[in-house]
Amino acid sequence: MRRRTLLTGSLAVAAAAGVSTAAGSVAGTGPVITVGSKQFTESWVMGELYAQILTARGFQVVLKSNIGSADIIDRALRSHQIDLYPEYTGVILQTFAMPKRMPVTAHGTYEAAKRFEEGRGLTLLRPTPFQNRNAVAVRTSDARKHGLRTVGDLRRMGRISYAEYPDNITGPLGYDAVVKAYRLSAMKVRPLNIGLQYPALKNGDVDAADVFTTDPQLRRYDFTVLEDDQAIFGFQNVSPVVRRSLVERYGRRLTEPLDAVNALLTEKAMQALNEAAAMMRLSPAKVADRFLRANDLK
Amino acid sequence: MSSTLLAAAGPQPVIPDFGTVSSCVRDNGLFCVDWFTANFSSMFGPALVQHVRLTVIAVGVGFLIAFPLALLAHFRRRLVKPLGGLTSFLYTIPPMALFTLLVPVFGLSVLTAEIALVSYTLMVLFKSSLTGLGEVPEEVRRAGEGMGLTRREVLWRIELPLALPAVISGLRVATVTTISVVEVAAFIIDQGLGSPIIQGLQSPFNTQFIGAGLLAVALALAADGLIVLVGRLLTPWARTRRTV
Repeated sequence: MRRRTLLTGSLAVAAAAGVSTAAGSVAGTGPVITVGSKQFTESWVMGELYAQILTARGFQVVLKSNIGSADIIDRALRSHQIDLYPEYTGVILQTFAMPKRMPVTAHGTYEAAKRFEEGRGLTLLRPTPFQNRNAVAVRTSDARKHGLRTVGDLRRMGRISYAEYPDNITGPLGYDAVVKAYRLSAMKVRPLNIGLQYPALKNGDVDAADVFTTDPQLRRYDFTVLEDDQAIFGFQNVSPVVRRSLVERYGRRLTEPLDAVNALLTEKAMQALNEAAAMMRLSPAKVADRFLRANDLK
Repeated sequence: MSSTLLAAAGPQPVIPDFGTVSSCVRDNGLFCVDWFTANFSSMFGPALVQHVRLTVIAVGVGFLIAFPLALLAHFRRRLVKPLGGLTSFLYTIPPMALFTLLVPVFGLSVLTAEIALVSYTLMVLFKSSLTGLGEVPEEVRRAGEGMGLTRREVLWRIELPLALPAVISGLRVATVTTISVVEVAAFIIDQGLGSPIIQGLQSPFNTQFIGAGLLAVALALAADGLIVLVGRLLTPWARTRRTV
């Protein structure tokens, strides 16, 4: 296999030589922190908020946005490609920890997620007041016609289709779990990337869709969110996942600014930020900048 | 409510005024020129430059690897199958899978993206170079040797010039292919014209898709045209032959 090792070796060397000039540089002289964010508007805005507040407090920040999905960004954090990123407390339990019984409060979810992450050399800082939960949405016209109130009422519509993002079909928040908890055996899945479910639902390509409660699209279209009376979607506050060694090294210098930003993120605030980014099409950087300035954090 | 439990005694945020937008932007019109021009310097311009850089490095490095391999295989014919097989194998790995597999090793970096991009250029560049080198008719080579040229001189003065058109058409295919695979690289690095498209998926905005898409198409056409032009300049004899 000597030739093959030689070949891959030369590949790596050649590519490294080629890209060394393309690597980004950071301004300032403070310690370097790499912030990551996931692949949707809310995460970009939060990544920008964290990056900008840390820059304002003297860190040199590298922001790597748009890392997805949950598995990829988690791997990136554990392999030291990033130092912190905003994650949903329920997602940590549902995707990585997978406990037998889910906590029944937001606080319990946060504590369980933090305990789990601390077992892997990571930790959670203070969570946001807002939650962004998964929910099932339908067209309001269908909700009226069939008298839909809870997710289970979808059985009345018979054979229907459900829009689900591809990495959440078999997960505990996903299509399979909804079908099982609400006995919706006649409901077929239609995998669609996050965001595409809104036009699909509006155009009648699907009859129900997995949505996020802080999405501004829920206000743009005439949709109704069905009640999750079996409580399968859990609790989803956001908290920065950070490597513990970093918290030990920088202490409050690192945690205080992030806690300060998180404390301001109420549901109303987050919806306004999401709307500015997703509906008014301002860049996440600009949205975060205006919010931090308005709150005297920058 | 459970969310208030976590919000206990929190400060109240000031929500800034984010201003107003044109009706085209608000209603997600097909192509909002105002938004495209307002965001060109912050979004499309840098993405286009990154796209060009990622492509040039990938095709350049790919060529520096594939061409010597093709030369090697040209002289050692028993290497044709294993090298062709290896480059074909790399070509068949789905881009998304390769990017994901490389992340734990090389990180969410340009290096990871380039390793994957380079590996996709190898098959086309290797095969086109090898075909080009092999296209020289046996009697032409013999004639060269008969005129007293050494093996090296035959390579430099006969085989390489005659291989050029095939190499150039390989470069055209590799470049246009790379321009499209770079779009997928945006899944791991926030660079290139795929970035505005991926970011637009979460909250679809036509101007963002159409703007980035048109720029990618324009880039592919421009790159292809440029290589054709350079190819003509490098093979003046081909043109002469046509005009005679």
